[in-house]
Amino acid sequence: MKPHRRKKLGIIIFITVGLSLAIGLTVFALRQNINMFYTPTQVADGEVLVGEHFRIGGMVKQGSLEEDQQSLKVKFITTDFVSDVPVQYEGILPDLFREGQGLVAEGVIDSTGIFQASRVLAKHDENYMSQEVKAALDAAGSSTEDHTAVVRESLTRNLPEN
Amino acid sequence: MWLWFSKLGSPKWFYELSGRWLPWLIAAMTIFITVGVIWGLLYLPPDYQQGYTSRILIVHVAVAGTSLAFFPLMAVAGVITMVWRMKLADMVAKMAAPIGAWFSFLTLATGSIWGSISWGTWWEWTDARLVTMLFQLFLLLGVISLRSALEDQDKAAKACALLSIVGLINVVVIKYSVEWWNVLHQVASPVSLSADSPNGPQFWIAIAIMIVAMYLFLSVSLILATRNEILQRERRSQWVQDLVRQS
Repeated sequence: MKPHRRKKLGIIIFITVGLSLAIGLTVFALRQNINMFYTPTQVADGEVLVGEHFRIGGMVKQGSLEEDQQSLKVKFITTDFVSDVPVQYEGILPDLFREGQGLVAEGVIDSTGIFQASRVLAKHDENYMSQEVKAALDAAGSSTEDHTAVVRESLTRNLPEN
Repeated sequence: MWLWFSKLGSPKWFYELSGRWLPWLIAAMTIFITVGVIWGLLYLPPDYQQGYTSRILIVHVAVAGTSLAFFPLMAVAGVITMVWRMKLADMVAKMAAPIGAWFSFLTLATGSIWGSISWGTWWEWTDARLVTMLFQLFLLLGVISLRSALEDQDKAAKACALLSIVGLINVVVIKYSVEWWNVLHQVASPVSLSADSPNGPQFWIAIAIMIVAMYLFLSVSLILATRNEILQRERRSQWVQDLVRQS
């Protein structure tokens, strides 16, 4: 390679490495700030203050959903399989909201420790299957367990290790 | 090797070679898009939870995957332009930006439509995947406007190459955003070879066909655009004038 080309290539590599480092460090520093939600364990550990507006992410605990027949009020428990946080919400729930599914709720914790949600979003996991496959898995009795494991994995992936 | 490299850089040689390849590429693209769209949108079994909404993802995943190819391509072309002064690489980089912007826009649009149904929201500013993808669209729009704002072609090429390197790093952030942070967006689905487990062949083969279709579409549009740019920039050369006289 000719010397002037080598010099130019060197400059480009230097710029690339420098930019990567700068962006990498920024991203690393913002690690916690960029997280979209707190997990129930983080809430239980007191990382959020009473009355502070934040988002909580977890799974809707099996058998915990109570729907009011007269209104759009719902109560359920969100869990990351370590800690539970009860949630109250009034409004329309997204299509994918159901027990055993991930969710992200926005709101505040009241003095009784109940999360008063002003907005509820459903979180979809990375598994897609047809009704037939789901039915076959249910028949084999392995589906719910596997599914729980997947959700647990996705919830605890970004937790700081204690 | 070096002879081949400098030959590749010759716009005339590229124009002739791509002219021979285009019919085949267009034929392959038509087949893949037709099969992919008909299968993916009409016959793909609906997801057990999302129902027919899941078919949006066939388009979304293919378009999104392809949109991540633009900045690596533009960065490599930019480096080749700056180090080896290859005119062709600069033309490719220039023509790739608007196509990439459309792909990024379609990714955001299809994702928003799906999200509004499944998540219950069109847009979340706090989701790192969504925001970094929007950043990619803005970067591409930035590259396009930088190109038209700078009169000096050499300076424009340099500035765009630099922006492309930023875009390249952003592609890495987009890719891993779902793993580095807690976000609403799901992580990449693992491919499963067994037909009776989640993410089985019935899903990923349909998606794979659409991804190949989108890459073919990208190649065809990029080649067509680059051919136009070649004629434009080389309009004073003998071979282009001969070409025009013939037609």
